Amino acid sequence: MIVKDVVCPFCGCLCDDIEVDVAENRVVAVTNACELGTKKLMGEKRMKNPILRDGDTWKDITYDEAIRYTVDMLTHAERPLLYGWSGTHGEAQCVGVHMAELVRGVIDNTSSVCHGPSILAIQEVGHPGCTLGVVKNRADLVIYWGANPIDAHPRHLSRYTRYADGFFLENAFRDRKVIVMDVRKTETANIADEFVQIKPGGDYAVLSALRAIVRGKEDIVPRTVAGVTREQLIRVVDLCKAAKFGAVYFGLGLTMTRGKYKNVRNAIELVSELNRHTKFTISAMRGHYNVYGSNEVNTWMTGYPFGIDFSRGIAFYNPGETTAVDILARKECDAALIVGSDPAAHFPRSCLKHLADIPVVQLDPYPNATTAFCNVQIPVAVTGIDAEGTAYRMDGVPIRTRKVLSTSYPSDEEVLSRIYREMQEAQAV
Amino acid sequence: MTFLMITGRTVNQGATVENKTSAGYAEETSTCFMHEFDMLELGLADQDAVRVAGPCGEVVMRAVASDEVEMGTVFVPYGPYANHIIAADTHSTGMPDFKSHEVEIEPTDEEPKTVHELMEELGGLAYDR
Ligand code: SF4
Repeated sequence: MIVKDVVCPFCGCLCDDIEVDVAENRVVAVTNACELGTKKLMGEKRMKNPILRDGDTWKDITYDEAIRYTVDMLTHAERPLLYGWSGTHGEAQCVGVHMAELVRGVIDNTSSVCHGPSILAIQEVGHPGCTLGVVKNRADLVIYWGANPIDAHPRHLSRYTRYADGFFLENAFRDRKVIVMDVRKTETANIADEFVQIKPGGDYAVLSALRAIVRGKEDIVPRTVAGVTREQLIRVVDLCKAAKFGAVYFGLGLTMTRGKYKNVRNAIELVSELNRHTKFTISAMRGHYNVYGSNEVNTWMTGYPFGIDFSRGIAFYNPGETTAVDILARKECDAALIVGSDPAAHFPRSCLKHLADIPVVQLDPYPNATTAFCNVQIPVAVTGIDAEGTAYRMDGVPIRTRKVLSTSYPSDEEVLSRIYREMQEAQAV
Repeated sequence: MTFLMITGRTVNQGATVENKTSAGYAEETSTCFMHEFDMLELGLADQDAVRVAGPCGEVVMRAVASDEVEMGTVFVPYGPYANHIIAADTHSTGMPDFKSHEVEIEPTDEEPKTVHELMEELGGLAYDR
C-alpha cells in the first residue's frame, strides 16, 4: 500500500511530500525523501521491550515496571534533569514541561547544543524571518552562512532555494543567486555562485566588515578580513543590495564557534542594515525535525525556550547555568529523564561520566549511545512512522506528522502521560 | 602537530545516526578528515590510525584525505569520538566549543575503539541485541 503526503521526521525541513510503500506493516520503499529521511523511515533494529540494567547485565521488564521505576526516580530526585525533546511531538513535549514543574526539575532541549545561541541573539535583537514558501517564491538571493544543507538538510536546495522554481522566479537556477560563507569548501559551496571562505573563528569580523560596507564605509575595511579580500566583501554587498529579496540561512557554523550568539546577533544586524536598501530576511537552519517545536512549547508554557529550572517553584532561565551540558559537567543533577535525543553521542565526555553515576531513564525506539548509561530504557513509537503528532518546521510552521504503520509501541505522549499521572498520585499520598 | 578541530554533519553520519550500534556509524564518526599535505607531513596514508588529543583526553580515529578542509584544520563528523576529547565549558551559553578546539594529532598503531568500548570506558554498559 502506498501512503502519500507523508511527513519526513528527520530534519527541520519536515518535507511533506514523501511517499511510503507499506507491506506487511513494514516500510519497504520510500520515494521523494533524501537519504537521511529514507534511512529513518526504513529504520530497523528497534528495541522490543523495556530493559533494566541489573549490575553488568540487561534484564527485560514490562512497561508497567519501567513506568514505576521512572515515577520513583523522578519523585525521589532532588534535582532531576529532563532533557532531549527534539525527536518527539509537541503533545509529548507539553507533558514533559508539566512533569518538570511538578518535580521542580530542570527541562532542557537539544537546542542548547544547536541553535540555543541563535535564540539568545534573537532575544537580544529579534529577527526578520519568513516562511520557506516566501523564500521559494520570491528570493532572488540566498546566503547560506556556516551551513551545509547538502549534508544536513539535503532537500532544502531543491524544495526552496537553488533548484526550486517559484512564483516570481521562472528559472530559479538562472535567476536566483546563491552565496555560501563557510570555513570549509563543502559540497554546498561547490554549487554556489559565490563562495566566501572565512578563516575559522573569523565570522564576526567578516559580518562587521560587511555591515561597514553596507553603510558606505568600505574605505575603513582592511585589505583582507579573516582571509577574505575586501574586493570579495564588496562584491557580496553589491549582490545583496542588487537583490529584490534576499534570505540568509545560518547554521551551526555560527553558533558553535567563537563568538557564539554574538555572531548570530551580528548577522541579524547585517540583515537589518540591508533592509535599509532592499528586502532581506534571516532564519536558522534547524536540525532535528521538531527542535523548533520544543522551543515553541516551552515558550508558551513557561516563557522561556530551553534550559528552564523549576527549583524555585517558578520558571527560571539562565543558559550556562540551567542548561544540560553545564548541569551534567557540574555534577548537579541526581537523576535524568532523556526523551527523543542521544546525549551520550553528542555531549562532551565529562557530562557522560556523571550520567554513569546517576539513575537515567530514556524513552527511545532504538538502542543508542545513551542506552549504555540507562538504568531503564523504554521503547516507544517513532513520531511520523507509527505515531502521529505535531512538529514545527524550521520556519515555525506547525505540521501534523502522519502515522504510516500500526505497531503495539506506545507513543511518547502515552508513556509520559502515564508517568505524569502516577507522579501526581504519588505526590498526593 | 597542532590542528583546529571542527565537527559537523555529514550525509553518512545522518544516515547511520538512528543506528548507533552499527559499524557504519562508528566508522563515519571516527573519521578525521585532513588536508593531503598535512597527512604527508605526518606520514599518513588514507585510513591510517591517528591519536587525536584534546583538552579533555585522547581518542584514536582514522585519517582520510579531504579537499574540503584547509591545512591546519581537521573535520570530524559529530558523534562520540569527537565528543570524547572536547571540553564541557560553555562560557555561560549552554553551548560547548564544538567547532573551535585545538587538538594534537600523531600517527599511532592503536585501533579506534568501538562506540560500545567508549561508553564502557566511562562507566556505561553496552546493549546490543
Ligand atoms: S530534507 Fe530533511 S525532512 Fe526532507 S526528506 Fe531529507 S531529512 Fe527528511
